[in-house]
Amino acid sequence: MRVTTSCARETERLGEKLAAVLRGKEMIALFGDLGAGKTAFTRGLCSGLGITDGVCSPTFAIVNAYQGKFPVYHFDMYRITDLDDLFATGFYDYIGNGVIIIEWSENIESELEPDCIRIRIKKTNNENERIFEIRGMDEYADLFG
Amino acid sequence: MLICSVDSSAAPASVCLLEDDKLVAEYYLNTGFTHSQTLMAMLESVLKISGKSAEDIDLYAVNSGPGSFTGVRIGVSAVKGMAYAQDKPCVEVSTLESMAYNFLGSHAVICACMDARRRQVYHGLFRVDGNTVERLCDDKAIAVDELLSSLPKNEEIILVGDGAELVYQNTEIPTVKLAPPNLRYQRASSVALAAVGSYNKGEVTSPAALMPRYLRLSQAERERNAKIKQEQDGAL
Repeated sequence: MRVTTSCARETERLGEKLAAVLRGKEMIALFGDLGAGKTAFTRGLCSGLGITDGVCSPTFAIVNAYQGKFPVYHFDMYRITDLDDLFATGFYDYIGNGVIIIEWSENIESELEPDCIRIRIKKTNNENERIFEIRGMDEYADLFG
Repeated sequence: MLICSVDSSAAPASVCLLEDDKLVAEYYLNTGFTHSQTLMAMLESVLKISGKSAEDIDLYAVNSGPGSFTGVRIGVSAVKGMAYAQDKPCVEVSTLESMAYNFLGSHAVICACMDARRRQVYHGLFRVDGNTVERLCDDKAIAVDELLSSLPKNEEIILVGDGAELVYQNTEIPTVKLAPPNLRYQRASSVALAAVGSYNKGEVTSPAALMPRYLRLSQAERERNAKIKQEQDGAL
C-alpha cells in the first residue's frame, strides 16, 4: 500500500488515521532517513490515540512512554547498534504490552515481530512531499485511499 | 534465621518470609501490574502483618535471572537496596532452579522453561529427590525443538515455568507432563528454600556484588538473526 502526503501536517493526519484502527498491541516499524517525517507521523499517531503533549524523538532516552487510549512506547533505535544494546533497553519487555512505534527500525530489523506493521518513508523531488509504503495493513487499504 | 525472598523475574511477583523451617508469610500477585508498584508494597505488607521489621531479616534471597530484563532488575535492585541498608548477606537464586523447589518432597525430573520469544526458552533441568534438588544441566537459552530432542526419554518429566505450555504443545512424548497451575510458576517461598541450600554451602554474596544474571540468546539464534537481516535488507 502506498500513500503520498504533501506536507508535515498531512503526514500527521496519516498517523491519526492509522491510530484509529489500532487494537493496542501492535508493533509499528518506521524506516526512513533524517527528516523523512518519522516523528511527525508518530506525533499524528499519538494524537489519534489522545496523546497531544510531549511526543518527540527519544534519541537519548531511547524510549518514551505515553498513556492515551492505549499505552504507547515510542522507541528511537538510532543509537542502538547490536542486540546487547537492544536487550539493555528492555525492548522485549514492552512487546505485547502496548502499541510500540519504532524509529530507525533499520538498526533492529531482525528483532521486529513477524506481524509488525512496516512503514518506509521516502522523500521525493518536492521538498515537503513524502511517499509512505505501508506493509501489514492491507485489510485497511480503503481507509487510506 | 529469618530469610526474606523476592521474585519478580517474569509476570508474577511474590515475596516471602521464611524463619528456619517455618514459612511465616508469603504474598503472591499475578495481576500484570508493574512490579515497581507492587513489590515494595508487598514487602512492607508481609513485614507489618507478621510483626517483623527490616532489621529482623538475616538473609535476603532473590531470583536474579534468567527472566525479563526489567523484572529481574526490579527484584535485584529492591533486595540490593534493603540488604545494603542493613548490611545483610544475599543469595542469588536461578529463577529456573527456584521452580524445581516447588516440587520439594516429590521424586521427579523438572524441566524449567521460561518463554524467551521466537520459539526459544530459558531452560534448566533438575532432579528432585525428596528434600534435595540436583541440577542436571546449566541454565541456557535454547530452541524449543532442540530442547525437546535433548530430553531424557525413559522417565517422566514435569514442565514448569511460563514457557512450559509452549514446550508441551510442541511435543507428543507421553512422558512429558505439564505441572499443575499451583506449582507451575516461580514463587518466593521456593526461592527461600533454594537459598537455604546455597547459604549452607557458603554461597552468599554481598549486597554490592548482587547482580542480575541474564542469559544471552544462543549463538545459533544470533546467526539466524544476522541471516534474516541480510535477507530483509533492501526488501523493506
